[in-house]
Amino acid sequence: MYDFHNVALSQNQSLLLNVAILSIIVISLIRSERSLRDQSQWGMLVLLAVFGVSGRILLDPIPNVQPVTVLVLLAGAYFGAPRALALAATIALASNVIFLGHGPWTLFQAIGWGAIGLAGAILSNRIIVGDRIRIGLLAIIAAASGLAFNWFVSLSILFETGSSMLVPYLLNGLVFDLYHAAGNVVFVAWLASPLGEMMARHRSSSAFEAVIEGASN
Amino acid sequence: MSDFLKPASVAAFIALVILAPSLQELLTEEAYEYVDDNDSSHDGLPMEWEKKQVICVFFPADPPHDGFSTGVTMIDADGIELGVNQNLNRTGACVGGFEGYSRGLDFMMDSTRSARGALSVGYDVGQLGHYVHTIGGLNADAMTGDFNGAYWNLDHNGAISLVGIGDLVMSEGDVISWSIATW
Repeated sequence: MYDFHNVALSQNQSLLLNVAILSIIVISLIRSERSLRDQSQWGMLVLLAVFGVSGRILLDPIPNVQPVTVLVLLAGAYFGAPRALALAATIALASNVIFLGHGPWTLFQAIGWGAIGLAGAILSNRIIVGDRIRIGLLAIIAAASGLAFNWFVSLSILFETGSSMLVPYLLNGLVFDLYHAAGNVVFVAWLASPLGEMMARHRSSSAFEAVIEGASN
Repeated sequence: MSDFLKPASVAAFIALVILAPSLQELLTEEAYEYVDDNDSSHDGLPMEWEKKQVICVFFPADPPHDGFSTGVTMIDADGIELGVNQNLNRTGACVGGFEGYSRGLDFMMDSTRSARGALSVGYDVGQLGHYVHTIGGLNADAMTGDFNGAYWNLDHNGAISLVGIGDLVMSEGDVISWSIATW
């Protein structure tokens, strides 16, 4: 019989295909978000998790470029550390188990992204001023988070090799780290404002709602 | 800020994609400088060679070397055979117990002489420096098989050497090793 799924795609073609699929997912998620009525952020967190997992898997052809770091950073800033941690661990575990490979590094990734969510929560008042995100500051934090995350996850090699290999390993992987940092800045530039608006709509903090109410009146 | 950042971030990303290969090459080179596995490169060698300079030559299974066809033979600087290590999963010979060498080529020529001709070295000097084609009678250029070509590959303390033997600077306790590689 014919095997219609056995189509050989070049690397660029499959990347294009994946970006198209991701666009469909993102558009659907934006539509779904509009139908989320309640002020509870759980529905929003589920949508973010779907975006994070699919973004991470589908953008796999580009080394180290994925939306997860920026997502958990924003989730920390808007929803607080516990929810950002849950989101980080869910995305890391789900995407690794489904596709990317699950191992000791999953724990490092979950902790790494969780820490970024925590940083977002701590810096929340600086990142979000009024109802606006300070994009420039967020871009700097996101770039730094990308580098810190990679270096932290690299520590998982200590399970396999001695500490003397750590410095050459980090040095050899620096281009990979820069991809993460640069990708994060791109995501902040293009996605942080719309994502922030969505998150703000489902933020249940009474203080924040009061600000929104005041602004709309 | 956002309006400026959108095109700027994409431009920076594209610049990174373009620069990545040459940047990676540079960093890989730098990274090797920090590869410090002197301890492990002495694994399997005689204890008395600890902190001493050693050269190892590994021969392929086919064609085998006449004198070193099983295990790795350990030869002292004085040419005395210390024994054969059968646990290295390789065949060849190591000559060790030297100190004070800083030039790789001097060390290689002097140390292989201790093996009394069994590891004699043949090299050419070309535009790119010294090119070793033969060790212990095995000429890599003349090898044929399921590959495009073969060459003698130089490792320095367990990591691939970034420079040829003519430019190699050695420290005390260094281990250099030669093995056939193909492309």
